[in-house]
Amino acid sequence: MLPIVKATNLTKSYAKGIRALDNISISVDPGEVLVVMGPSGSGKSTLIRTFNGLETFDSGQLNVLGIPLGSNHNEERKIRRIRKRVGMVFQQFNLFPHLSILENITLAPIKVQKKKRDEAEHEALVLLTQMGIESHAQKYPSQLSGGEQQRVAIARALALKPELLLFDEPTSALDPERVNEVLDAMRRLAEQGMSMVVVTHEVNFAKEVGDKVLFMDSGKVIETSTPDIFFLDAKHQRSRKFLNQIKKK
Amino acid sequence: MILKKIKQRAFSNILDSITTLIIISFIIISLTTILKWIFFSANWSVVKINLPLFFFGSFPKDQLWRPGLWMSLIAILSFATLLAPRWKWVPKFLPILWISFAPLGIFLLGGGLGLSPVESRNWGGLTLTILLTSFSAILSLPLGIVLALGRQSELPVIRKASSLYIDTMRSVPLIAVLFFGQLLIPLFLPIGLEINRVYRAIIAFTLFVSAYLAEDIRGGLQSVPKTQREAGEVLGLHPLQITCLIILPQALRVALPSLTNQAVGLLQNTSLMAILGLVELLGIGRSILANPEFIGRYIEVYVWLAALYWVVCTLMALIARHLEKQMALEKRG
Repeated sequence: MLPIVKATNLTKSYAKGIRALDNISISVDPGEVLVVMGPSGSGKSTLIRTFNGLETFDSGQLNVLGIPLGSNHNEERKIRRIRKRVGMVFQQFNLFPHLSILENITLAPIKVQKKKRDEAEHEALVLLTQMGIESHAQKYPSQLSGGEQQRVAIARALALKPELLLFDEPTSALDPERVNEVLDAMRRLAEQGMSMVVVTHEVNFAKEVGDKVLFMDSGKVIETSTPDIFFLDAKHQRSRKFLNQIKKK
Repeated sequence: MILKKIKQRAFSNILDSITTLIIISFIIISLTTILKWIFFSANWSVVKINLPLFFFGSFPKDQLWRPGLWMSLIAILSFATLLAPRWKWVPKFLPILWISFAPLGIFLLGGGLGLSPVESRNWGGLTLTILLTSFSAILSLPLGIVLALGRQSELPVIRKASSLYIDTMRSVPLIAVLFFGQLLIPLFLPIGLEINRVYRAIIAFTLFVSAYLAEDIRGGLQSVPKTQREAGEVLGLHPLQITCLIILPQALRVALPSLTNQAVGLLQNTSLMAILGLVELLGIGRSILANPEFIGRYIEVYVWLAALYWVVCTLMALIARHLEKQMALEKRG
Protein backbone atom coordinates (compact mmCIF):
# COMPACT_ATOMS: atom_id res chain seq x y z
CA MET A 1 0.00 0.00 0.00
CA LEU A 2 1.21 3.50 -0.82
CA PRO A 3 2.07 5.64 2.20
CA ILE A 4 -0.27 8.60 2.83
CA VAL A 5 2.63 10.93 3.49
CA LYS A 6 6.10 10.30 2.21
CA ALA A 7 8.81 12.87 2.88
CA THR A 8 12.31 12.43 1.55
CA ASN A 9 15.21 14.62 2.66
CA LEU A 10 13.00 17.60 3.52
CA THR A 11 15.08 20.63 4.37
CA LYS A 12 14.05 24.14 5.29
CA SER A 13 16.23 26.89 6.69
CA TYR A 14 15.45 30.41 7.81
CA ALA A 15 17.37 33.49 6.79
CA LYS A 16 19.88 33.33 9.64
CA GLY A 17 20.94 29.82 8.66
CA ILE A 18 18.86 28.15 11.37
CA ARG A 19 17.59 24.83 10.09
CA ALA A 20 13.92 24.33 10.87
CA LEU A 21 13.92 21.03 9.01
CA ASP A 22 17.14 19.17 8.47
CA ASN A 23 17.09 16.34 5.97
CA ILE A 24 13.93 14.71 7.23
CA SER A 25 12.61 11.48 5.73
CA ILE A 26 9.50 9.83 7.10
CA SER A 27 6.42 8.04 5.89
CA VAL A 28 2.93 7.58 7.28
CA ASP A 29 0.90 4.54 6.23
CA PRO A 30 -2.89 4.51 5.90
CA GLY A 31 -4.56 4.02 9.29
CA GLU A 32 -1.38 4.80 11.13
CA VAL A 33 -1.06 7.22 14.05
CA LEU A 34 2.29 8.97 14.02
CA VAL A 35 3.11 10.91 17.18
CA VAL A 36 5.70 13.67 16.81
CA MET A 37 7.51 14.67 20.00
CA GLY A 38 10.38 16.94 20.81
CA PRO A 39 11.35 20.08 22.70
CA SER A 40 9.83 23.39 21.58
CA GLY A 41 11.57 24.88 18.57
CA SER A 42 12.59 21.47 17.31
CA GLY A 43 10.61 21.85 14.08
CA LYS A 44 7.65 19.55 14.89
CA SER A 45 5.02 22.11 13.92
CA THR A 46 6.97 23.21 10.87
CA LEU A 47 7.14 19.60 9.73
CA ILE A 48 3.43 18.85 9.90
CA ARG A 49 2.59 22.25 8.45
CA THR A 50 4.52 21.35 5.30
CA PHE A 51 2.15 18.38 4.84
CA ASN A 52 -0.74 20.69 3.88
CA GLY A 53 1.25 23.52 2.40
CA LEU A 54 1.07 25.97 5.30
CA GLU A 55 4.86 25.98 5.25
CA THR A 56 7.14 25.70 2.25
CA PHE A 57 10.44 23.83 2.18
CA ASP A 58 13.70 24.47 0.39
CA SER A 59 14.70 21.06 -0.88
CA GLY A 60 13.66 17.43 -0.80
CA GLN A 61 10.51 15.63 -1.91
CA LEU A 62 7.10 15.44 -0.34
CA ASN A 63 4.23 13.29 -1.48
CA VAL A 64 0.86 13.65 0.23
CA LEU A 65 -2.01 11.33 -0.80
CA GLY A 66 -0.22 10.63 -4.04
CA ILE A 67 0.12 14.31 -4.90
CA PRO A 68 3.78 15.33 -5.20
CA LEU A 69 4.70 18.72 -3.76
CA GLY A 70 7.90 20.41 -4.89
CA SER A 71 9.99 22.99 -3.14
CA ASN A 72 8.94 25.77 -5.53
CA HIS A 73 6.30 28.09 -4.19
CA ASN A 74 3.70 28.23 -6.94
CA GLU A 75 1.64 25.16 -6.36
CA GLU A 76 -1.53 26.72 -5.00
CA ARG A 77 -3.84 24.44 -6.94
CA LYS A 78 -2.08 21.27 -5.84
CA ILE A 79 -1.98 22.50 -2.29
CA ARG A 80 -5.71 23.22 -2.32
CA ARG A 81 -6.37 19.74 -3.68
CA ILE A 82 -4.40 18.32 -0.77
CA ARG A 83 -6.13 20.55 1.78
CA LYS A 84 -9.53 19.30 0.69
CA ARG A 85 -8.43 15.80 1.72
CA VAL A 86 -6.31 16.62 4.80
CA GLY A 87 -7.86 18.05 7.97
CA MET A 88 -5.95 20.09 10.53
CA VAL A 89 -6.55 20.96 14.17
CA PHE A 90 -4.63 23.84 15.74
CA GLN A 91 -3.38 24.53 19.23
CA GLN A 92 -5.56 27.64 19.53
CA PHE A 93 -8.65 26.02 17.94
CA ASN A 94 -8.98 28.90 15.42
CA LEU A 95 -12.76 28.65 15.19
CA PHE A 96 -14.51 31.46 13.34
CA PRO A 97 -15.90 33.66 16.14
CA HIS A 98 -18.58 35.31 13.98
CA LEU A 99 -20.18 32.01 12.95
CA SER A 100 -22.23 29.63 15.07
CA ILE A 101 -20.84 26.18 15.84
CA LEU A 102 -23.01 24.67 13.13
CA GLU A 103 -21.93 27.32 10.59
CA ASN A 104 -18.28 26.78 11.52
CA ILE A 105 -18.61 23.14 10.57
CA THR A 106 -20.79 23.50 7.48
CA LEU A 107 -18.81 26.37 5.92
CA ALA A 108 -16.29 24.22 4.06
CA PRO A 109 -18.70 21.45 2.97
CA ILE A 110 -21.06 24.07 1.53
CA LYS A 111 -18.45 26.38 -0.03
CA VAL A 112 -15.75 23.89 -1.02
CA GLN A 113 -17.63 20.67 -1.69
CA LYS A 114 -20.78 22.53 -2.86
CA LYS A 115 -23.02 20.41 -0.66
CA LYS A 116 -26.64 21.39 -0.01
CA ARG A 117 -27.14 23.23 3.27
CA ASP A 118 -29.58 20.64 4.65
CA GLU A 119 -27.24 17.79 3.91
CA ALA A 120 -24.22 19.60 5.35
CA GLU A 121 -26.11 20.52 8.52
CA HIS A 122 -27.32 16.99 8.97
CA GLU A 123 -23.78 15.65 8.66
CA ALA A 124 -22.47 18.35 10.98
CA LEU A 125 -24.99 17.33 13.64
CA VAL A 126 -23.88 13.70 13.33
CA LEU A 127 -20.27 14.81 13.86
CA LEU A 128 -21.21 16.99 16.82
CA THR A 129 -23.05 14.06 18.37
CA GLN A 130 -19.95 11.92 17.93
CA MET A 131 -17.99 14.61 19.75
CA GLY A 132 -20.66 14.80 22.44
CA ILE A 133 -21.46 18.48 21.92
CA GLU A 134 -24.59 18.40 19.76
CA SER A 135 -26.43 20.60 22.28
CA HIS A 136 -24.11 23.52 21.46
CA ALA A 137 -24.86 23.59 17.72
CA GLN A 138 -26.54 26.99 17.75
CA LYS A 139 -24.08 28.65 20.13
CA TYR A 140 -21.06 30.75 19.24
CA PRO A 141 -17.45 29.70 19.90
CA SER A 142 -16.91 32.23 22.71
CA GLN A 143 -19.69 30.55 24.73
CA LEU A 144 -17.87 27.22 24.81
CA SER A 145 -15.05 25.98 27.02
CA GLY A 146 -11.64 25.31 25.50
CA GLY A 147 -12.19 21.56 25.40
CA GLU A 148 -15.55 22.00 23.70
CA GLN A 149 -14.08 24.45 21.20
CA GLN A 150 -11.31 22.02 20.34
CA ARG A 151 -13.85 19.24 19.79
CA VAL A 152 -15.75 21.58 17.46
CA ALA A 153 -12.47 22.19 15.64
CA ILE A 154 -12.04 18.43 15.23
CA ALA A 155 -15.60 18.12 13.93
CA ARG A 156 -14.89 20.97 11.50
CA ALA A 157 -11.80 19.17 10.23
CA LEU A 158 -13.78 15.93 9.88
CA ALA A 159 -16.61 17.59 7.94
CA LEU A 160 -14.64 17.36 4.70
CA LYS A 161 -14.19 13.59 5.27
CA PRO A 162 -10.39 13.83 5.26
CA GLU A 163 -8.08 10.91 4.63
CA LEU A 164 -5.48 12.31 7.00
CA LEU A 165 -5.78 14.46 10.12
CA LEU A 166 -2.98 16.70 11.36
CA PHE A 167 -2.99 17.77 15.02
CA ASP A 168 -0.68 20.61 16.06
CA GLU A 169 -0.44 20.39 19.88
CA PRO A 170 -4.23 20.07 20.22
CA THR A 171 -4.26 19.99 24.02
CA SER A 172 -1.51 22.47 24.87
CA ALA A 173 -3.87 25.42 25.25
CA LEU A 174 -6.40 23.58 27.42
CA ASP A 175 -7.02 23.49 31.16
CA PRO A 176 -5.59 20.24 32.54
CA GLU A 177 -9.03 18.86 33.43
CA ARG A 178 -10.23 19.50 29.87
CA VAL A 179 -7.39 17.64 28.16
CA ASN A 180 -8.92 14.19 28.38
CA GLU A 181 -12.19 14.98 26.64
CA VAL A 182 -10.18 16.00 23.57
CA LEU A 183 -7.77 13.07 23.79
CA ASP A 184 -10.71 10.66 24.10
CA ALA A 185 -12.23 12.05 20.93
CA MET A 186 -8.89 11.59 19.15
CA ARG A 187 -8.55 8.08 20.54
CA ARG A 188 -11.95 7.12 19.09
CA LEU A 189 -10.91 8.48 15.70
CA ALA A 190 -7.76 6.38 15.79
CA GLU A 191 -9.85 3.31 16.64
CA GLN A 192 -12.00 4.00 13.60
CA GLY A 193 -8.86 3.74 11.47
CA MET A 194 -8.22 7.43 10.78
CA SER A 195 -4.66 8.21 9.70
CA MET A 196 -3.27 10.87 12.01
CA VAL A 197 -0.10 12.83 12.59
CA VAL A 198 -0.14 14.26 16.11
CA VAL A 199 2.30 16.74 17.57
CA THR A 200 1.85 16.45 21.32
CA HIS A 201 3.51 16.23 24.71
CA GLU A 202 0.92 13.77 26.07
CA VAL A 203 2.96 10.69 26.89
CA ASN A 204 0.00 8.49 27.77
CA PHE A 205 -1.76 9.30 24.54
CA ALA A 206 1.40 8.52 22.58
CA LYS A 207 1.83 5.21 24.42
CA GLU A 208 -1.75 4.02 24.00
CA VAL A 209 -2.73 5.38 20.60
CA GLY A 210 0.49 5.95 18.71
CA ASP A 211 1.75 3.39 16.22
CA LYS A 212 5.07 5.19 15.81
CA VAL A 213 6.82 7.93 17.73
CA LEU A 214 9.02 10.39 15.88
CA PHE A 215 11.40 12.31 18.10
CA MET A 216 12.84 15.56 16.73
CA ASP A 217 15.44 18.01 17.95
CA SER A 218 16.84 21.10 16.16
CA GLY A 219 15.11 20.15 12.93
CA LYS A 220 16.52 16.64 12.83
CA VAL A 221 14.79 13.32 13.30
CA ILE A 222 16.65 11.78 16.24
CA GLU A 223 14.68 8.59 16.50
CA THR A 224 11.67 6.80 15.06
CA SER A 225 10.44 3.90 17.18
CA THR A 226 7.32 2.16 18.31
CA PRO A 227 5.98 3.64 21.58
CA ASP A 228 6.97 0.53 23.53
CA ILE A 229 10.61 0.95 22.63
CA PHE A 230 10.64 4.74 22.74
CA PHE A 231 9.19 5.14 26.22
CA LEU A 232 10.86 2.14 27.89
CA ASP A 233 14.15 1.82 26.13
CA ALA A 234 14.86 4.79 23.86
CA LYS A 235 17.75 4.23 21.53
CA HIS A 236 19.27 7.68 21.77
CA GLN A 237 20.74 9.62 24.64
CA ARG A 238 18.90 12.79 23.52
CA SER A 239 15.54 11.03 23.57
CA ARG A 240 16.15 9.70 27.08
CA LYS A 241 17.10 13.13 28.35
CA PHE A 242 13.89 14.60 26.89
CA LEU A 243 11.74 11.85 28.40
CA ASN A 244 13.35 12.35 31.81
CA GLN A 245 12.55 16.05 31.68
CA ILE A 246 8.93 15.37 30.76
CA LYS A 247 8.59 12.88 33.62
CA LYS A 248 9.85 15.42 36.13
CA LYS A 249 6.87 17.61 35.31
CA MET B 1 -36.97 57.28 50.19
CA ILE B 2 -36.31 59.35 47.10
CA LEU B 3 -35.92 62.49 49.20
CA LYS B 4 -33.36 60.71 51.33
CA LYS B 5 -31.42 59.67 48.26
CA ILE B 6 -31.45 63.20 46.84
CA LYS B 7 -30.28 64.54 50.16
CA GLN B 8 -27.50 61.98 50.25
CA ARG B 9 -26.32 62.57 46.72
CA ALA B 10 -26.77 66.30 46.23
CA PHE B 11 -26.75 67.92 49.69
CA SER B 12 -24.35 65.80 51.71
CA ASN B 13 -22.23 68.83 52.72
CA ILE B 14 -22.14 72.58 52.25
CA LEU B 15 -19.98 72.53 49.13
CA ASP B 16 -22.25 69.95 47.50
CA SER B 17 -25.33 71.94 48.41
CA ILE B 18 -23.93 75.11 46.90
CA THR B 19 -22.92 73.35 43.71
CA THR B 20 -26.33 71.73 43.41
CA LEU B 21 -28.11 75.04 43.91
CA ILE B 22 -25.92 76.83 41.38
CA ILE B 23 -26.48 74.12 38.77
CA ILE B 24 -30.24 74.04 39.39
CA SER B 25 -30.60 77.80 39.15
CA PHE B 26 -28.51 77.85 36.00
CA ILE B 27 -30.71 75.18 34.42
CA ILE B 28 -33.90 77.00 35.43
CA ILE B 29 -32.72 80.35 34.11
CA SER B 30 -31.51 78.99 30.77
CA LEU B 31 -34.59 76.79 30.32
CA THR B 32 -37.01 79.63 30.98
CA THR B 33 -35.11 81.92 28.64
CA ILE B 34 -35.05 79.32 25.91
CA LEU B 35 -38.67 78.28 26.36
CA LYS B 36 -39.80 81.90 26.54
CA TRP B 37 -38.01 82.57 23.28
CA ILE B 38 -39.38 79.46 21.59
CA PHE B 39 -42.99 80.04 22.59
CA PHE B 40 -43.32 83.83 22.79
CA SER B 41 -40.50 85.78 21.11
CA ALA B 42 -39.78 83.57 18.13
CA ASN B 43 -41.86 83.97 15.00
CA TRP B 44 -42.18 80.51 13.56
CA SER B 45 -44.23 81.56 10.56
CA VAL B 46 -41.04 81.47 8.48
CA VAL B 47 -40.73 77.75 9.20
CA LYS B 48 -44.44 76.98 8.95
CA ILE B 49 -44.90 78.66 5.59
CA ASN B 50 -41.79 77.08 4.12
CA LEU B 51 -42.22 73.61 5.55
CA PRO B 52 -42.50 71.90 2.13
CA LEU B 53 -39.37 73.79 1.02
CA PHE B 54 -37.38 72.54 3.99
CA PHE B 55 -38.36 68.98 3.33
CA PHE B 56 -38.58 68.75 -0.45
CA GLY B 57 -36.98 71.87 -1.95
CA SER B 58 -38.69 73.40 -4.96
CA PHE B 59 -40.07 70.08 -6.17
CA PRO B 60 -43.10 70.53 -8.47
CA LYS B 61 -46.18 70.85 -6.25
CA ASP B 62 -48.21 68.18 -8.03
CA GLN B 63 -45.36 65.66 -7.67
CA LEU B 64 -44.66 66.22 -3.98
CA TRP B 65 -45.91 62.72 -3.17
CA ARG B 66 -42.74 61.30 -4.68
CA PRO B 67 -40.17 62.70 -2.23
CA GLY B 68 -42.85 62.39 0.45
CA LEU B 69 -43.25 58.69 -0.24
CA TRP B 70 -39.49 58.20 -0.25
CA MET B 71 -38.99 59.99 3.07
CA SER B 72 -41.82 58.03 4.69
CA LEU B 73 -40.27 54.79 3.43
CA ILE B 74 -36.98 55.74 5.05
CA ALA B 75 -38.74 56.55 8.31
CA ILE B 76 -40.59 53.22 8.22
CA LEU B 77 -37.38 51.37 7.36
CA SER B 78 -35.54 53.04 10.25
CA PHE B 79 -38.18 52.07 12.78
CA ALA B 80 -38.45 48.58 11.31
CA THR B 81 -34.70 48.19 11.82
CA LEU B 82 -34.94 49.35 15.42
CA LEU B 83 -37.84 47.01 16.15
CA ALA B 84 -36.62 44.22 13.90
CA PRO B 85 -35.78 41.57 16.50
CA ARG B 86 -39.49 41.29 17.38
CA TRP B 87 -40.36 39.93 13.94
CA LYS B 88 -38.07 37.16 12.84
CA TRP B 89 -38.56 37.48 9.10
CA VAL B 90 -37.69 41.17 8.88
CA PRO B 91 -33.90 41.07 9.41
CA LYS B 92 -33.39 38.99 6.28
CA PHE B 93 -34.83 41.68 4.04
CA LEU B 94 -33.44 44.72 5.83
CA PRO B 95 -29.98 44.81 4.22
CA ILE B 96 -31.49 44.53 0.73
CA LEU B 97 -34.01 47.26 1.51
CA TRP B 98 -31.31 49.55 2.91
CA ILE B 99 -29.14 49.12 -0.17
CA SER B 100 -32.01 49.59 -2.61
CA PHE B 101 -33.55 52.67 -1.05
CA ALA B 102 -30.91 55.06 -2.41
CA PRO B 103 -31.46 54.05 -6.08
CA LEU B 104 -35.20 54.14 -5.35
CA GLY B 105 -34.71 57.74 -4.23
CA ILE B 106 -33.02 58.67 -7.50
CA PHE B 107 -35.88 57.04 -9.40
CA LEU B 108 -38.63 58.72 -7.36
CA LEU B 109 -36.94 62.13 -7.52
CA GLY B 110 -35.60 62.04 -11.06
CA GLY B 111 -38.52 60.28 -12.68
CA GLY B 112 -38.45 58.05 -15.72
CA LEU B 113 -40.21 54.70 -16.25
CA GLY B 114 -43.64 56.28 -16.16
CA LEU B 115 -42.89 59.09 -13.75
CA SER B 116 -42.53 62.54 -15.25
CA PRO B 117 -38.89 63.67 -15.16
CA VAL B 118 -37.95 66.33 -12.63
CA GLU B 119 -34.68 68.18 -13.11
CA SER B 120 -32.10 67.90 -10.36
CA ARG B 121 -32.11 71.64 -9.75
CA ASN B 122 -35.57 71.20 -8.29
CA TRP B 123 -34.40 68.59 -5.82
CA GLY B 124 -33.71 70.05 -2.44
CA GLY B 125 -34.16 70.32 1.28
CA LEU B 126 -33.89 67.41 3.66
CA THR B 127 -34.67 65.02 0.82
CA LEU B 128 -31.56 66.08 -1.05
CA THR B 129 -29.45 65.95 2.11
CA ILE B 130 -30.50 62.36 2.74
CA LEU B 131 -30.11 61.43 -0.93
CA LEU B 132 -26.55 62.80 -1.00
CA THR B 133 -25.68 61.06 2.26
CA SER B 134 -27.20 57.69 1.51
CA PHE B 135 -25.94 57.45 -2.04
CA SER B 136 -22.41 58.51 -1.15
CA ALA B 137 -22.36 56.15 1.83
CA ILE B 138 -23.58 53.16 -0.15
CA LEU B 139 -21.06 53.78 -2.95
CA SER B 140 -18.10 54.56 -0.72
CA LEU B 141 -18.43 51.48 1.50
CA PRO B 142 -17.52 48.95 -1.24
CA LEU B 143 -14.86 51.32 -2.60
CA GLY B 144 -13.46 51.69 0.92
CA ILE B 145 -13.37 47.91 1.34
CA VAL B 146 -11.55 47.47 -1.97
CA LEU B 147 -9.04 50.19 -1.03
CA ALA B 148 -8.45 48.71 2.42
CA LEU B 149 -7.88 45.26 0.93
CA GLY B 150 -5.71 46.81 -1.76
CA ARG B 151 -3.55 48.45 0.86
CA GLN B 152 -2.85 45.00 2.29
CA SER B 153 -2.35 43.31 -1.06
CA GLU B 154 0.74 41.27 -1.73
CA LEU B 155 1.09 42.86 -5.17
CA PRO B 156 3.25 45.97 -4.79
CA VAL B 157 1.51 47.85 -7.62
CA ILE B 158 -1.94 47.50 -6.07
CA ARG B 159 -0.64 48.22 -2.58
CA LYS B 160 1.22 51.37 -3.64
CA ALA B 161 -1.69 52.60 -5.76
CA SER B 162 -4.18 52.17 -2.90
CA SER B 163 -1.86 53.86 -0.42
CA LEU B 164 -1.23 56.73 -2.78
CA TYR B 165 -4.95 57.23 -3.35
CA ILE B 166 -5.84 57.06 0.34
CA ASP B 167 -3.03 59.36 1.44
CA THR B 168 -3.73 61.88 -1.31
CA MET B 169 -7.44 62.05 -0.53
CA ARG B 170 -6.78 62.42 3.16
CA SER B 171 -4.43 65.31 2.61
CA VAL B 172 -6.91 67.35 0.57
CA PRO B 173 -9.71 69.29 2.25
CA LEU B 174 -13.21 68.08 1.45
CA ILE B 175 -14.29 71.42 0.06
CA ALA B 176 -11.48 71.24 -2.51
CA VAL B 177 -12.67 67.80 -3.61
CA LEU B 178 -16.21 69.13 -3.89
CA PHE B 179 -15.06 72.07 -6.01
CA PHE B 180 -13.14 69.60 -8.13
CA GLY B 181 -16.33 67.59 -8.58
CA GLN B 182 -18.43 70.60 -9.56
CA LEU B 183 -15.93 72.43 -11.75
CA LEU B 184 -13.43 69.95 -13.12
CA ILE B 185 -15.40 66.76 -13.73
CA PRO B 186 -17.38 68.42 -16.57
CA LEU B 187 -14.08 69.44 -18.21
CA PHE B 188 -12.82 65.87 -18.25
CA LEU B 189 -15.96 64.44 -19.77
CA PRO B 190 -16.35 64.14 -23.54
CA ILE B 191 -18.51 66.83 -25.11
CA GLY B 192 -22.16 65.94 -25.08
CA LEU B 193 -21.94 63.80 -21.98
CA GLU B 194 -23.11 65.71 -18.97
CA ILE B 195 -23.53 64.60 -15.39
CA ASN B 196 -25.87 66.67 -13.31
CA ARG B 197 -24.67 68.51 -10.24
CA VAL B 198 -26.15 66.13 -7.71
CA TYR B 199 -24.37 63.17 -9.24
CA ARG B 200 -21.14 65.15 -9.42
CA ALA B 201 -21.47 65.92 -5.72
CA ILE B 202 -22.12 62.23 -4.98
CA ILE B 203 -19.01 61.26 -6.96
CA ALA B 204 -16.89 63.80 -5.07
CA PHE B 205 -18.22 62.69 -1.67
CA THR B 206 -17.69 59.03 -2.57
CA LEU B 207 -14.09 59.62 -3.67
CA PHE B 208 -13.36 61.51 -0.47
CA VAL B 209 -15.18 59.43 2.12
CA SER B 210 -14.00 56.09 0.75
CA ALA B 211 -10.40 57.01 1.64
CA TYR B 212 -11.40 57.52 5.27
CA LEU B 213 -13.58 54.41 5.31
CA ALA B 214 -10.63 52.45 3.91
CA GLU B 215 -8.48 53.44 6.87
CA ASP B 216 -11.21 52.48 9.37
CA ILE B 217 -11.69 49.13 7.63
CA ARG B 218 -7.94 48.56 7.55
CA GLY B 219 -7.95 48.92 11.31
CA GLY B 220 -10.65 46.25 11.44
CA LEU B 221 -8.71 43.98 9.09
CA GLN B 222 -5.61 44.24 11.23
CA SER B 223 -7.58 43.18 14.29
CA VAL B 224 -8.39 39.79 12.73
CA PRO B 225 -5.63 37.34 13.69
CA LYS B 226 -3.63 35.72 10.90
CA THR B 227 -4.59 32.30 12.20
CA GLN B 228 -8.14 32.92 10.97
CA ARG B 229 -6.84 32.97 7.41
CA GLU B 230 -4.86 29.80 8.09
CA ALA B 231 -7.93 28.07 9.48
CA GLY B 232 -9.75 28.92 6.27
CA GLU B 233 -6.87 27.81 4.06
CA VAL B 234 -6.69 24.47 5.81
CA LEU B 235 -10.35 23.87 4.93
CA GLY B 236 -9.53 24.25 1.24
CA LEU B 237 -11.35 27.57 0.88
CA HIS B 238 -10.33 29.85 -1.98
CA PRO B 239 -8.43 33.01 -0.89
CA LEU B 240 -11.34 35.16 -2.07
CA GLN B 241 -13.79 33.07 -0.05
CA ILE B 242 -11.58 33.44 3.00
CA THR B 243 -11.55 37.22 2.61
CA CYS B 244 -15.30 37.54 2.04
CA LEU B 245 -16.61 34.91 4.45
CA ILE B 246 -14.10 34.95 7.28
CA ILE B 247 -11.94 38.08 7.35
CA LEU B 248 -14.27 40.86 6.19
CA PRO B 249 -17.27 40.04 8.40
CA GLN B 250 -15.04 40.17 11.46
CA ALA B 251 -13.19 43.29 10.29
CA LEU B 252 -16.39 45.23 9.51
CA ARG B 253 -17.78 44.33 12.92
CA VAL B 254 -14.74 45.88 14.57
CA ALA B 255 -14.84 48.90 12.27
CA LEU B 256 -18.58 49.53 12.66
CA PRO B 257 -18.38 52.28 15.32
CA SER B 258 -15.92 54.30 13.26
CA LEU B 259 -17.92 53.66 10.08
CA THR B 260 -21.00 55.12 11.78
CA ASN B 261 -18.94 58.08 12.81
CA GLN B 262 -18.02 58.65 9.17
CA ALA B 263 -21.65 58.35 8.10
CA VAL B 264 -22.78 61.00 10.60
CA GLY B 265 -19.86 63.19 9.53
CA LEU B 266 -20.85 62.69 5.91
CA LEU B 267 -24.42 63.82 6.59
CA GLN B 268 -23.16 67.01 8.18
CA ASN B 269 -20.60 67.58 5.46
CA THR B 270 -23.29 67.54 2.78
CA SER B 271 -24.14 71.01 4.09
CA LEU B 272 -20.94 72.20 2.37
CA MET B 273 -22.84 71.81 -0.89
CA ALA B 274 -24.82 74.91 0.11
CA ILE B 275 -21.70 76.89 -0.75
CA LEU B 276 -21.54 75.19 -4.14
CA GLY B 277 -25.10 76.02 -5.03
CA LEU B 278 -27.07 72.91 -4.17
CA VAL B 279 -30.18 73.70 -2.15
CA GLU B 280 -29.95 70.90 0.36
CA LEU B 281 -31.13 71.51 3.91
CA LEU B 282 -28.69 74.31 4.73
CA GLY B 283 -28.91 75.70 1.20
CA ILE B 284 -32.68 75.96 1.38
CA GLY B 285 -32.34 77.76 4.73
CA ARG B 286 -29.99 80.28 3.17
CA SER B 287 -32.20 80.87 0.19
CA ILE B 288 -35.26 81.37 2.39
CA LEU B 289 -33.35 83.91 4.46
CA ALA B 290 -32.44 85.72 1.26
CA ASN B 291 -36.16 86.27 0.59
CA PRO B 292 -37.05 89.85 1.68
CA GLU B 293 -40.29 88.55 3.17
CA PHE B 294 -38.41 86.67 5.89
CA ILE B 295 -35.59 89.08 6.49
CA GLY B 296 -34.00 88.93 9.92
CA ARG B 297 -35.45 85.53 10.86
CA TYR B 298 -31.96 84.01 11.11
CA ILE B 299 -32.28 82.53 14.56
CA GLU B 300 -35.58 80.78 13.92
CA VAL B 301 -34.36 79.24 10.67
CA TYR B 302 -31.02 78.08 12.03
CA VAL B 303 -32.54 76.69 15.24
CA TRP B 304 -35.03 74.79 13.12
CA LEU B 305 -32.24 73.48 10.86
CA ALA B 306 -30.19 72.43 13.88
CA ALA B 307 -33.20 70.55 15.24
CA LEU B 308 -33.72 68.75 11.92
CA TYR B 309 -30.05 67.77 11.66
CA TRP B 310 -30.16 66.64 15.26
CA VAL B 311 -33.17 64.39 14.68
CA VAL B 312 -31.66 62.75 11.59
CA CYS B 313 -28.22 62.25 13.15
CA THR B 314 -29.70 60.86 16.35
CA LEU B 315 -31.76 58.43 14.35
CA MET B 316 -28.62 57.32 12.50
CA ALA B 317 -26.71 56.93 15.74
CA LEU B 318 -29.57 54.92 17.26
CA ILE B 319 -29.69 52.56 14.31
CA ALA B 320 -25.92 52.13 14.39
CA ARG B 321 -25.88 51.41 18.12
CA HIS B 322 -28.72 48.97 17.60
CA LEU B 323 -26.70 47.22 14.89
CA GLU B 324 -23.64 47.02 17.13
CA LYS B 325 -25.71 45.51 19.92
CA GLN B 326 -27.26 43.02 17.52
CA MET B 327 -23.82 41.90 16.37
CA ALA B 328 -22.47 41.66 19.88
CA LEU B 329 -25.54 39.56 20.77
CA GLU B 330 -24.92 37.30 17.81
CA LYS B 331 -21.41 36.73 18.99
CA ARG B 332 -22.45 35.91 22.52
CA GLY B 333 -25.78 34.37 21.56
